[in-house]
Amino acid sequence: MIRSLIKRSVLLSILGVASAGPLVLFAQSADAVKQPYQTERANSGTPNSDVVKKDANGVITSYGNSSIMYNAPSASLNNLGRALYMQNCASCHGAQANGVPEGGSAGAYPALVGLGPATINFWISSGRMPAANPREVQAMRAKPRLSDSQSVAIAAWVNSLAPSYPYIPTPNLATASVSNGAQLFALNCAACHTIEGMGDALASNTYAPSLHNIPAYQVAEAIRIGPGNMPRFTGNLTDAQANDIVKFVTTYISHPQNPGGLGLGGLGPVAEGFIGLALGSGVLALFGFWVGEREE
Amino acid sequence: MTNVLETKRSKKLDKGPFGSVGHALNELDDRLGTAKGGRTFLDKIFPDHWSFMLGEIALYSFVILLVTGIFLALYYIPSTAIVTYKGEYLPLYGQKVTEAFASTVDLSFAVRGGLLMRQMHHWACDIFVGAIVVHMARVFFTGAFRKPRELNWTIGTTLLTLAIVNGFLGYSLPDDLVSGTGIRIAYSIILSVPLVGSYIGFWVFGGNFPGAMIIPRFFVLHEFIVPLLILGLVGAHLALLVRQKHTQFPGPGKTEENVVGTPMFPVFIAKTTGFLLIVAGVTAMLGAFAQINPIWQFGQYHAANISYAVQPDWYMGFLDGALRIWPSWSFHSFGHTIAFNVLVPTLILPGIVFGIAYAWPAVERKLTGDNAIHHLLDRPSDRAVRTSSGVTLLSYLMMLFIASSTDVIANFFHVSLDAVLWAMRILVVVVPIIAFPLTYKICKEMQNFKGAGKRKTTNVVTRTSEGEYVSTASPRYVDDIPTHLAPIPVPKFIEEVQAPVSPAISSGTRVADRCHPCSTTCACVTVEPKIPVNLP
Amino acid sequence: MSSGIENHTPVSLRGLSSDDPHLQPAARNPERVEKVIVVNFVFGIIFGFLFIAAYIQNWPPFILGGAMAGCLLLLGIGLVSWGKYLMPRGPFVEDRHEFRNSDEDRTAFAAAIVQRGGGLVKRRKLLTGLFAGGMGVFSLGAVFPLLRSLGPLPKGTLFHTDWRKDSYAVDITGRRVLVGDLAVGAIVTVFPEGQQVTENGQAVDQTVLIRVSNQDFTTMKGRETWGPQGILAYSKLCTHLGCPVGLYEQQLQLLVCPCHQSMFDVNNGAVPQFGPAPRPLPQLPIYIDASGNIRAQSDYREPVGPGFWERA
Repeated sequence: MIRSLIKRSVLLSILGVASAGPLVLFAQSADAVKQPYQTERANSGTPNSDVVKKDANGVITSYGNSSIMYNAPSASLNNLGRALYMQNCASCHGAQANGVPEGGSAGAYPALVGLGPATINFWISSGRMPAANPREVQAMRAKPRLSDSQSVAIAAWVNSLAPSYPYIPTPNLATASVSNGAQLFALNCAACHTIEGMGDALASNTYAPSLHNIPAYQVAEAIRIGPGNMPRFTGNLTDAQANDIVKFVTTYISHPQNPGGLGLGGLGPVAEGFIGLALGSGVLALFGFWVGEREE
Repeated sequence: MTNVLETKRSKKLDKGPFGSVGHALNELDDRLGTAKGGRTFLDKIFPDHWSFMLGEIALYSFVILLVTGIFLALYYIPSTAIVTYKGEYLPLYGQKVTEAFASTVDLSFAVRGGLLMRQMHHWACDIFVGAIVVHMARVFFTGAFRKPRELNWTIGTTLLTLAIVNGFLGYSLPDDLVSGTGIRIAYSIILSVPLVGSYIGFWVFGGNFPGAMIIPRFFVLHEFIVPLLILGLVGAHLALLVRQKHTQFPGPGKTEENVVGTPMFPVFIAKTTGFLLIVAGVTAMLGAFAQINPIWQFGQYHAANISYAVQPDWYMGFLDGALRIWPSWSFHSFGHTIAFNVLVPTLILPGIVFGIAYAWPAVERKLTGDNAIHHLLDRPSDRAVRTSSGVTLLSYLMMLFIASSTDVIANFFHVSLDAVLWAMRILVVVVPIIAFPLTYKICKEMQNFKGAGKRKTTNVVTRTSEGEYVSTASPRYVDDIPTHLAPIPVPKFIEEVQAPVSPAISSGTRVADRCHPCSTTCACVTVEPKIPVNLP
Repeated sequence: MSSGIENHTPVSLRGLSSDDPHLQPAARNPERVEKVIVVNFVFGIIFGFLFIAAYIQNWPPFILGGAMAGCLLLLGIGLVSWGKYLMPRGPFVEDRHEFRNSDEDRTAFAAAIVQRGGGLVKRRKLLTGLFAGGMGVFSLGAVFPLLRSLGPLPKGTLFHTDWRKDSYAVDITGRRVLVGDLAVGAIVTVFPEGQQVTENGQAVDQTVLIRVSNQDFTTMKGRETWGPQGILAYSKLCTHLGCPVGLYEQQLQLLVCPCHQSMFDVNNGAVPQFGPAPRPLPQLPIYIDASGNIRAQSDYREPVGPGFWERA
């Protein structure tokens, strides 16, 4: 029974990963402009927003509202982006950013066309891409190997292949409510990232990362695009709500108020138990060793 | 009729040789008859081996819990009525929260010293249960639970249960996200009880989860009922200890018929009061510098919210760990469901563990056939079966505790969560099985190794003129010489005693026979016979 | 230096001469120890004043607590040192006395209970029987206010939620969820309209909507209409112990319960893959109305949440 359970879970995780690929490819091939983040709700990360700016050719250069503005990367970066892409990304993601089936299972190195500039920008500027270990189940956050402007350039070029949304967000934290953000965080984010934003281990070698010290735009990107195993929050969170969450994460999660002393890693009762037993009972037992006598 | 020449000085002299204090004590004795019992009490001898301090850590942690708890009770509001938080912690500002939560956050931010008291209270609880467990282990491994102390062992095990329960009730009072999840789990455990589960659940909670009654009821239990029970049992525990006198390790001068140590007054009182201050000081240190249970970061409990890494406080970890690793056994037929995946880890297994604890004195009496009274303790290595059994049970519990942190372990060491879960399932069976024979072997080895645990003596190596190296035990310091004599027996009356029976002593001559025969130096003392009184 | 032999012989407290070595301080140099203890106490007092100042000045808790800790620790260490090093070193001895009383006392005691008491019961069987019966009846009755008054009977409460035919699915703010809101890979917690504000409603009715595709999705046989346009609705209450199963991994298509790591396979009707949960998460039959609102077809077809005795 146990062995069959392991087999089932392994099989299903492979199936899950494998099925995500065709799903993405399927979305692409069905309609090149219909991005995976479709939502009909207004002010939720698509050009269905209060403010929409177009350039001379009628191409939308930015959209959004008083909470978050989404800006397209400038087309002038396309050439730089293409060069950088070919250097850093093409070997895995293909010269046309269409993905490369690896070992026969489609979608192993996913296609990047039609995913929107925010997706590309998120993965590169958080250091997850270029992947340090392409075989790893989940690319972990790392020191970015490409600068922010290089990341935007690559995003510009990939987007130029099949223009899509969302654009790169710039949250306006001044208008955000940290209290509303805390409530939304507790309902939507704490289940994976823990209520203190420390991150934790998920199934099958996947992890919800720590949310400490992440730039505001990256938090907004992650919410909208749902990278990797993270679900995406599109129409179910308006820009105002997403902005609230971004402000909460970049303030009270990154810099928690610990008036009680050392935060003990934000791990909750596990760390507290260790400290209580080791530093509490342990130190007191040592004191007891001094107070009492030893045998002769 | 008062003396015309009564002066302050003459009044003072009238009070006798011990002044006002003696006078007051005499007045007390007139009314309550305290003199004899008081003197006996003050002369009580306490063995003061360091391992006997562990119970004191528990006792004094409880005192700290009481003191800090009274402070907290003056501010905490045990109500689930909804209020709008308007305090200084911004992420909560404007949120609709319960009064219980709001009052706890205000206690942490707005009441001067409130956060310190809250944190000391919580740390003291963690230390309290830890100290009880360590103390219980000491009592177990040294055999102090044997006749005549089985009742004290039963009281102690009950105290452990009550301490764990009160801890759970206490940290659930703020109605925050993390502890509210624990209450939800407790509710589901109650529901899973066959036949009566849903009834008991609805009665305890006053309806379906969450209801408005559970926080006030937890408050009554945590503040009033359980502490009263603990206080009563602690009182009984200590009373038995005083009546039966403390056990002691075997050693020079120590027998089954006496107690060797320091007197209650002034030595023991000084040391124990000092230790109370030290326990309070260490708890204050933790409460000052290490944040614990930051409920403002967790937020108000809502039934649809959940956080990851929501372990309960450490002493509940053996339940949480068992729940995580248990397979999904569930009996589901004939129109009924019995959730064995819940019942076994949380009710049946802990019942067996505590049942073993309660039954152990009787079991050991039966298996060893030993019905004698024991006041001398065993060295743990001398009782291999008992020690191995204890280590086995403790290692099983320790595996369950570790199993409670599977996700944190997987995250910290960057390994797969599924792998950690499977590893814990295996370890929880394998480690106790290995622990028994391993401990047994170690005990046997220690028994056979003469001088294990004893202080080592130095050897003096000399070289003879022929070039041979000879090592001899170096002469010990005079102060190190253990004695071979029985202690002077203690008469039971207040009057001065006659000098000891040895004829050499009674004649006031040197006590040459009290010297170590092999020693080159003899330490001798002259004992003057005291004023003899008639001993009945 | 006095001899060491007598120092280690435990003596009784009574009848010791005042220069008995047992009454001497344990320390070899009591004057130095006393000086150290004085330093301890003095610093303890200083910390004590710091504690008072920290309270008056409302300094942060770590200063208040640190000062308190310093004061207590130093005074405690000083007091223990006093008791350990400066007070009579002992060791002292006291006799134990046997607890047991004489055999006559024991027989008399047993006789009192067995003969007097037993005799009483035998002679007045009717009276003792009736009295015992009366106390029994009263005790039985006394249980009722203690237990039964605590809360209502469960009856059918655990078998139903507030989801009904045509209930709108709303999020925590009360906003109705539209099919166009959800991208593939999205998750949102919903309640029947009106129940998102009550704790009781939240506790029982909590449901997650997950979009797994853009086309109608069937999780198992018989549920062909339950996944319109790829949106699935599952009860958020874990079938293990009722924690909200909020952890959704969209590539692995798993709903993981954060409490004890039960993992439910979203594509196959939330069947548990791993972990202690015994049953799949109940799936709510939903449909999408003409305006795009997500609504329920009916209540859940089975009780939500953890198992209980009456759950068939």
